[in-house]
Amino acid sequence: MSEALLAIGTPTAEVRRLAELLGAELLALPAAAPASARDAELERWRARAREQAPRRRIVVAAWRAEASPGALLGLADEAWCARAEDPLVDWMVALGSASALCADGGSLVAVVERPAPLDASGWVPEAGVADAVEALVRSLARSEGPRGVRVNAVATPVRLVSGPVVAPAPPLAAFPGALEREVVGAVRLLLGDDACGLTGSVLAADCGRSW
Amino acid sequence: MTAPAVTPVVIVTGASGGVGRGIALACAQSGWRVWIAARREAEGAQVAAEVDAAGGRGRYVRCDVADAASVAAAVARLVAEEGRLDGVVHNATSALSPQPVVLRDAPVAELRDHVAVSVRGTWLLARAAHAHLRAVRGSLVLLTSEAGFEGKARLAPYAAVKAAQRGIARALAREWGPEGIRVNCVAPLAQSPALERAFELDPAMQGRVLGRLPLGRLGDPTADIGAVVRFLLSRDAAYVTGHTIMADGGSCSVT
Repeated sequence: MSEALLAIGTPTAEVRRLAELLGAELLALPAAAPASARDAELERWRARAREQAPRRRIVVAAWRAEASPGALLGLADEAWCARAEDPLVDWMVALGSASALCADGGSLVAVVERPAPLDASGWVPEAGVADAVEALVRSLARSEGPRGVRVNAVATPVRLVSGPVVAPAPPLAAFPGALEREVVGAVRLLLGDDACGLTGSVLAADCGRSW
Repeated sequence: MTAPAVTPVVIVTGASGGVGRGIALACAQSGWRVWIAARREAEGAQVAAEVDAAGGRGRYVRCDVADAASVAAAVARLVAEEGRLDGVVHNATSALSPQPVVLRDAPVAELRDHVAVSVRGTWLLARAAHAHLRAVRGSLVLLTSEAGFEGKARLAPYAAVKAAQRGIARALAREWGPEGIRVNCVAPLAQSPALERAFELDPAMQGRVLGRLPLGRLGDPTADIGAVVRFLLSRDAAYVTGHTIMADGGSCSVT
């Protein structure tokens, strides 16, 4: 078993940066491709991932490359798939693989992009994916808990803010936060032993915007 | 319930049996016009006849919710015949829904199937129905699940897509609210063929489900679930949007 932190995620600049900030080795998911080719590639990727040594701590971040808002009705089929269906399948494969790689007694943290409810207009696909990841985290917390594995999530709107926010203003002026501070801090908290009693939890690292 | 000025016209996906049939019959009991959208024609036509018998007017339309052309054609046919569309209920789920699976081993093709029926189906129905719902300040209702709140150890893909629908509803309610369209979810726990199948596949599940029910019984698809969906479709819920109503007998501990 390796003590080194492993990050599983899409090979985007933000995910690479997140891995770097956490000092994690990045196991990159396949790059974006049409679903027909992508699914076969995901199956091959999953088989290769199983060859990794078990890890005590794993972070998962299946972020898509682009993050720009748009009304649901304005989405072309391709954009819908790129923003909703493909990321959701990526998350399922990535979190399933992470659970397989996580050693007994280990900790797994998903870092998901989630718009705050007040700011969710224009981010319908992302809101759906975020809630799905929350349910996946809770599902894994149940299935992996008996072997001592904790599974939690950090939700961030760091890329999902467009224009002036709906009043009232977020409690903390640092909204929407930054990878370097708010996001990494919450991830470290959940990965560490101080969070030994936390599993199935989702921390909203959004400067108080979600409540 | 407030009597509507005109008879509402609604479409219910996956209504050839189970909870969808219960929703259709509840709407029929109020005299509504109910379109049964499903892939199984014989069963769908049977439910349409039951709608007629219950006091409404039933129609069957073939619809594969994962297929854009099929959804568009179903909605177009309904509007051509009825002249309006007041409510859409997306109840259909993947046939894999009750099938226990370990997430790490779930074939990608199966994950895609869950996503296609529940998540893409939501999008396709929303896209096809939007203009018609806007014209009458109508309502979209998505059938989610307690699994989408609390997760399920052996039904993780199902839990995920049900949660995705809740997130979509919350965000879409904000996006469509200015146009007067309401978007809500119902999380049912009901006696249905799908739940019976899940109990068969995971015998311990029945004890887990029934053991924590404060009301001590599974819901009736028409009286307990259909009535709640009908409320959300009706003008009585004109000020309700972006929410999930748990129609689960108090089962789910996470809301």
